[in-house]
Amino acid sequence: MSNYYHMPKLPSADSLRVTINVDGKDVVVPGDTNLIEALRSVGIETPHFCYHPHLPLSGNCRQCLIETEGPRGMGLAIACYTPVRAGMKVATPASSPKVAKARKTVMEFQLVNHPLDCPICDKAGECLLQENYMQAGQGESHVREDIGKQYHGAPEHRFEDTKGQDRGGKDIDIGPRIILDEERCILCDRCVRFMRHVAGDEQLYIAARGDHAFITTFPGKKLDHAYDLNTTDICPVGALTSKSFRFKHRVWNLQHTPSIDPTDALGANIWIDHDGGTVYRLMPRCNSDVNRSWIANSTRAAFEALSTNRLLDGRLQGKTVTRSEALRHMMEKLQSAKKVALVSSGHLTLEDNAAMLSLAGVLGPRAEVFGGSWLPVAKPDGIALSGDPVPNRRGVSLLGIADNLDQLVSRAAEFDVVLLAETDLWFADSKQAKALEAIPNRLVLSAWDTASVKAATCAVGINAWAEVRGCMVNIAGRLQMMQAAPVSPVDALEPAWQTLSHLAGSDWNEVIEAWKFATGICSPLASIKYSAIGSSGLQLPPSGAHT
Amino acid sequence: MADTSPKVCTVNFGKGAQDISVYKSLGGYSNVGKRLFDLSQFELIDLVTRSGLRGRGGAGFPTGMKWSFVPRGGKPVYLVVNADEGEPGTFKDHFLMLEDPHRLIEGMLICGWALGVRTAYIYVRGEFLSAVESLNKAISQAYAAGLLGANIGGSGYSLDIYVHRGAGAYICGEETALINSLEGCKGQPRLKPPFPAVSGAWSSPTCVNNVETIMALPWILENGPEAYAAIGVGRSNGTKVFSVSGDVKRPGVYECALGLPIMEMLESEQFCQGVIGDLKGVIPGGSSTPVLTTAEASDAKLDYESLAAKGTMLGSGAIIAFNSSRNVVTMLQSLTRFYAHESCGQCTPCREGTGFANRVMKTVVAGKGRDTDLQLLLDLCEGFTPTTICPLAAADAGPIESFTKKFRADFEAAIARNPERAEERLHPNFRPGAFW
Ligand SMILES: Cc1cc2nc3c(=O)[nH]c(=O)nc-3n(C[C@H](O)[C@H](O)[C@H](O)COP(=O)(O)O)c2cc1C
Ligand code: SF4
Ligand code: SF4
Ligand code: FES
Repeated sequence: MSNYYHMPKLPSADSLRVTINVDGKDVVVPGDTNLIEALRSVGIETPHFCYHPHLPLSGNCRQCLIETEGPRGMGLAIACYTPVRAGMKVATPASSPKVAKARKTVMEFQLVNHPLDCPICDKAGECLLQENYMQAGQGESHVREDIGKQYHGAPEHRFEDTKGQDRGGKDIDIGPRIILDEERCILCDRCVRFMRHVAGDEQLYIAARGDHAFITTFPGKKLDHAYDLNTTDICPVGALTSKSFRFKHRVWNLQHTPSIDPTDALGANIWIDHDGGTVYRLMPRCNSDVNRSWIANSTRAAFEALSTNRLLDGRLQGKTVTRSEALRHMMEKLQSAKKVALVSSGHLTLEDNAAMLSLAGVLGPRAEVFGGSWLPVAKPDGIALSGDPVPNRRGVSLLGIADNLDQLVSRAAEFDVVLLAETDLWFADSKQAKALEAIPNRLVLSAWDTASVKAATCAVGINAWAEVRGCMVNIAGRLQMMQAAPVSPVDALEPAWQTLSHLAGSDWNEVIEAWKFATGICSPLASIKYSAIGSSGLQLPPSGAHT
Repeated sequence: MADTSPKVCTVNFGKGAQDISVYKSLGGYSNVGKRLFDLSQFELIDLVTRSGLRGRGGAGFPTGMKWSFVPRGGKPVYLVVNADEGEPGTFKDHFLMLEDPHRLIEGMLICGWALGVRTAYIYVRGEFLSAVESLNKAISQAYAAGLLGANIGGSGYSLDIYVHRGAGAYICGEETALINSLEGCKGQPRLKPPFPAVSGAWSSPTCVNNVETIMALPWILENGPEAYAAIGVGRSNGTKVFSVSGDVKRPGVYECALGLPIMEMLESEQFCQGVIGDLKGVIPGGSSTPVLTTAEASDAKLDYESLAAKGTMLGSGAIIAFNSSRNVVTMLQSLTRFYAHESCGQCTPCREGTGFANRVMKTVVAGKGRDTDLQLLLDLCEGFTPTTICPLAAADAGPIESFTKKFRADFEAAIARNPERAEERLHPNFRPGAFW
């Protein structure tokens, strides 16, 4: 790898459009990108391994061959490294047998030394080698048993199998979170480039040369970085796999629900991968404007909480009650209250907080809404974390809710009811929260059995982030949407907005009602429809918070 | 018989020119002064272009044209002399540096002035310890004599030269891998474009030239481009230094005008003085160039065009002659082993293909070859030649295709030793149509 590298140029909405000729047909494509992206924009997928839109170009796998005009007429070139030029001629396998053959050949070489142990490989089902084989391979192979294979692997990991064949390394503990299978590695260099250029901590490299090359860490070192699990996503094969996910579930049985990182205000786009009501993993969802293709290990770990320590029913004076009993108690307390403090939450969606504002409206002058968080804020890491652990802080302030928890503490004596929704003040700062214990009625809505639930006089369980549909505004003012995955541990749970609307007596049934309320009271959101938000979010105009 | 062929690079061989005073007494460095510095960069590049000098590192690219691609006035321009000399059969650069290091320095001064170079490197193959010593000694003498360093000869021109030792990888002779290695990275070729002349070492314009190419410059400056162009034939101007090895009576480094018949090189008294045994074939330009049979060699000439017409190349000018006592099958296997070992492992077809080809050759040598193996080798070559980053894979295909075609009977005889040679035996994992 050289010191100098080129990042692929990705097409954008304002890319200049140019006409190129693909397989004899003129098509209009973005003019400022490479051929893989340009062809993709007109529905032609080019098989590739080493190319990744968010990593420097490497051009080593040679799978993406196309034909284009060069100094000596039409000739083979790699699509990932070939920039679009207006008027250029491009041939894909659809018109060029030469390209079809070249791709088949490269695929054959790719498989020459591959162990082909798909049945026991965790990547099977989402493996680029499998996918590209089906698209570009399927040729007759020249490999013969008596010629043997040169399995990839470090000398110290090699072993002889039962047939006497020299094998590479398997099941290597390369770091605290990742297992390496050296034999499966196709030396595409993606993980190396990720660690070097994205993580900024070069922990992996390809040692040795030729077919003796193998992927490894530096001597005596482990692969250990706050983003290292991204290498398991971008590894096109089953060489790098995550310890927490491997052998847990076959990927073709997983359903994917798009969502947003619930742990950080950057709002990294994620997939919730689930099956049969269980979440198995969180995966990055590509968004070039937010997190590119990366999420932090800490974000991935957020799924574990979905099945841990959940509050599935109600609590009244520390005793377990049904949800409806708890709700009835809350309703009574709110009706008889003299002065209610409603505490909004940046961990909840705009819809949830809008429902709280609607409740405040119903309570009239007896209610006052507070906002903010006591969780410590760290510095942005420049990759996929902003450092602010409150994902919807911006959204809450957009709804006109002030950051004024301190006032609630100092004026606690004025209130006889406080209602918290998914904001664990007793966890964030138990000393300050102590002051709130002067308020006789402490009502808590929470998905988890938290410190605040323990400090509450009455609590009720609600849906957690993965189970709800709704919007958040990230730290950069981008409106993003999370979809509900069908993974609620019990059917009876409701999203916060719905519980709040019960308390307000408005009984909203659809999240869209909460959204309409939000757009009605918040001018930056005015007239935005769900359909306008799209899967990659909508950048709000930088006008700032509305009050 | 005295050697009567024209001498450009080897003229000082055996004269003790390693010492600067001897080199100067033989006329060295006399032009590093007004003669050189009065020429504008443009005039100097034009002069080299008119001489018809072509790169001696293997590809034969016109040197003046390469220089003209170097952009001016922006980033610093680097000169890197390619002294990696890894091609099997080639050893001329080693001797050139041992015998006449000052000529290389003088050539670098000329190239440096032409391209506005302030910092130049000589990338020497790691094993060439004595050459490194010879160069370092010469460089310190040149610094002491005011011929390197700041303000050379009061001209205002400054040049520093550093000797960089490689680690002995063949691929580091490829210019972009060489630059990566020079920068401290793994020696692997870069994607092109950009070419080094535009963006090479540290992303700056970089001129990479072979030792011999640079060493021709002092002679061209001294005697004029026309005199150089007058040597040789057609578009192959000047002289070439050949490394001759194998079954000849006097192997060695010989310089002659381009266009010399190959048999004259092998048989003439002033060169190799004859073949030992009966000649079976000749590799004309280094192991990557397709082999010539005796019949083909009988009328082959040592210049770019004639060898291209014979389907081979002048390459780095490494002639390997072999007689009928040699086993061409094991010869080819030692070459396929070399390329499999030296593949940088970056791109798939070369990494897996050169190793595969070598494993096939190993089975053939071991008497376990199959009837289909020769076709298999050709298929592999056809597969990896057009699909790689650099020409190393194609360099493996050169010998494979030519040896198996031209000495087919030997290969068939080697395969015939296997009683099961006709049996089809596909890898159980690879039945056509099955996925695993
Ligand atoms: C695999 C490979 C190995 C090479 N090895 C050498 C070498 O050892 N010495 C050399 O001068 N050129 C070598 N070259 C050629 C260089 O890439 C480059 O063309 C040359 O140094 C340019 O110098 P020239 O124009 O003076 O010939 C090699 C090329 C390839 C593809
Ligand atoms: S481990 Fe995976 S990502 Fe890394 S080089 Fe190997 S195949 Fe590519
Ligand atoms: S062709 Fe071979 S030597 Fe050249 S870049 Fe590819 S792997 Fe490396
Ligand atoms: S994707 Fe283009 S060479 Fe790998």
